[in-house]
Amino acid sequence: MAMLKVKNLYKKFGEFIAVDNITFDIKEGEILGLLGPNGAGKTTTIQMLLGITTPTNGTIHYFEKDFSVYPQYCLSQLNFTSAFNNLQGRNTVWENLIVFANLYGVENCITKIKKLVTHFEMDDLVYKRYFDLSTGQKTRANFIKALINDPKIILMDEPTASLDPDIADKTLTFIEELRKERPITILYTSHNMSEVTRICDRVIFMDKGKVVAEDTPLGLTKRIQVAQLRLTFNDKKEVIVEYLKKEKLDHRFDDGHVVFITTEEKALPKIIFDLSKLGIWMTDIEVKKPTLEHVFLQIARGEKYVFQ
Amino acid sequence: MMFHEIFITRHSFEIFNDIILFPLFSIIVFGYMTLYLVGSTGKIIADQVLSGIILWQVISIAQYSVGVSCLWDVWSRNLTNIFISPISIKEYLTFFAISGTIKGFIVLLLSSILAFFVFHLNMLSMGLINMFLMFINLAVFGFSFGVVMLGLIIRFGTRVAAFAWGLINVFQPLMAVIYPVAILPQPFRSISFLFAPTYVFEAMRKSLNGQNIISDIESAVALNILFLIGAVIFFRYMFAKSKETGQFARLEG
Repeated sequence: MAMLKVKNLYKKFGEFIAVDNITFDIKEGEILGLLGPNGAGKTTTIQMLLGITTPTNGTIHYFEKDFSVYPQYCLSQLNFTSAFNNLQGRNTVWENLIVFANLYGVENCITKIKKLVTHFEMDDLVYKRYFDLSTGQKTRANFIKALINDPKIILMDEPTASLDPDIADKTLTFIEELRKERPITILYTSHNMSEVTRICDRVIFMDKGKVVAEDTPLGLTKRIQVAQLRLTFNDKKEVIVEYLKKEKLDHRFDDGHVVFITTEEKALPKIIFDLSKLGIWMTDIEVKKPTLEHVFLQIARGEKYVFQ
Repeated sequence: MMFHEIFITRHSFEIFNDIILFPLFSIIVFGYMTLYLVGSTGKIIADQVLSGIILWQVISIAQYSVGVSCLWDVWSRNLTNIFISPISIKEYLTFFAISGTIKGFIVLLLSSILAFFVFHLNMLSMGLINMFLMFINLAVFGFSFGVVMLGLIIRFGTRVAAFAWGLINVFQPLMAVIYPVAILPQPFRSISFLFAPTYVFEAMRKSLNGQNIISDIESAVALNILFLIGAVIFFRYMFAKSKETGQFARLEG
């Protein structure tokens, strides 16, 4: 069963089309990444999925139920966390969690909150005011709130934005651990391609309101056929220049002893072999394969080659 | 939502100021003014002025608690979290109605006690049932007015946030709180009688004079029902419009 099914979702603000007929779904237990440059329509999509912005057209179904007809039921089964939303800052973490547990009608809420607080290592912080927490601690408190109703699906809007790498990594680990415990379904937006590659099963790329690509992170990177070879050499630069011209290879020299060659991945061994045969003494060889970030840049900039 | 209100009130000195201290200071100021007036106008007029100010606090608090409670969550960037929980508009507004009524009652009680011991005004001299009828009508009007303000805030954002504090005071002169409607110029009198509180304050003055207030209360109830229905329809429209234009999602940013 699809946990979320979006069909022909369309949103127009005046003359501006923010989301242009997008269709996608998320299966149970799947983590779907929603990516795209700023202004691609991700945030508007999330807002419509949460019911805080009304779609101009299209349908949203959670667990086979029409969101526009059963908003309260759908909202009781989902939750949301974002780096851009807080809990009530004047209240303590505990008070905030009590409020949300009651809003979601959580049974045995004290036990539930205690369990989550311990899981997220917040026992010592729970009686602190939310505003007094560090960014990382706030993120953890937001996660507890997002899990308080045992949601079938969680929408995460850049949950690690503004976190330092250590806390961001711990946050991702929390998600991974959570996933081991139960089949949780997540819609995840982020600008950090490495974390998307790490946790997402499937990725949707949006640009100018449209879905422009949809695949697994690996599948998307395979769409870029080129790789980049970084060679550090001792001398005979003119021999290398002549060879690269003769083979018509896309290249650039970084300084006197480093050259970047961008070409098809399968051609790389031959280049190294040829240069070696020409008597080039290579002191360092590095192959840069395309990542999700390159796919992102290619889509955002519309460039054929993304290695700069 | 009641937990939410209790917790935030406990942690916010501003709320304590706004709903307890300022109303009581206002009673003290007007109380001493009426003590001064007793010499020149007589006790009845002085009591009418102070009773009017005490009852005005009910409207003021009931309307304030709607708009400002929402603003606390906007300022904290917590409003989205509230609205993506399975709370319905009906439940959200019902919470404000209950919360505003409780706060209004607390302020009325404290103000009445203060007026009794310091200014020798017994609000219960108007009769318990009369007091109850007046209180309910004022609380309903305050709540309805607050719902209209909330609709404006949700539709137009925090740039109209000041309405939550101040706009009600613009209407105060028209509602004949501390003077009879007859004092107002004729054109304003007609406008004045469009507001339910005008009838309540007229009833209050009659009550202090030992007169029957039923017809005034009936008019107040009828207008309150109309205003309440209108306020809820207005709020629903503003809320829908805010979600349509994307303003609601931008409220916190």
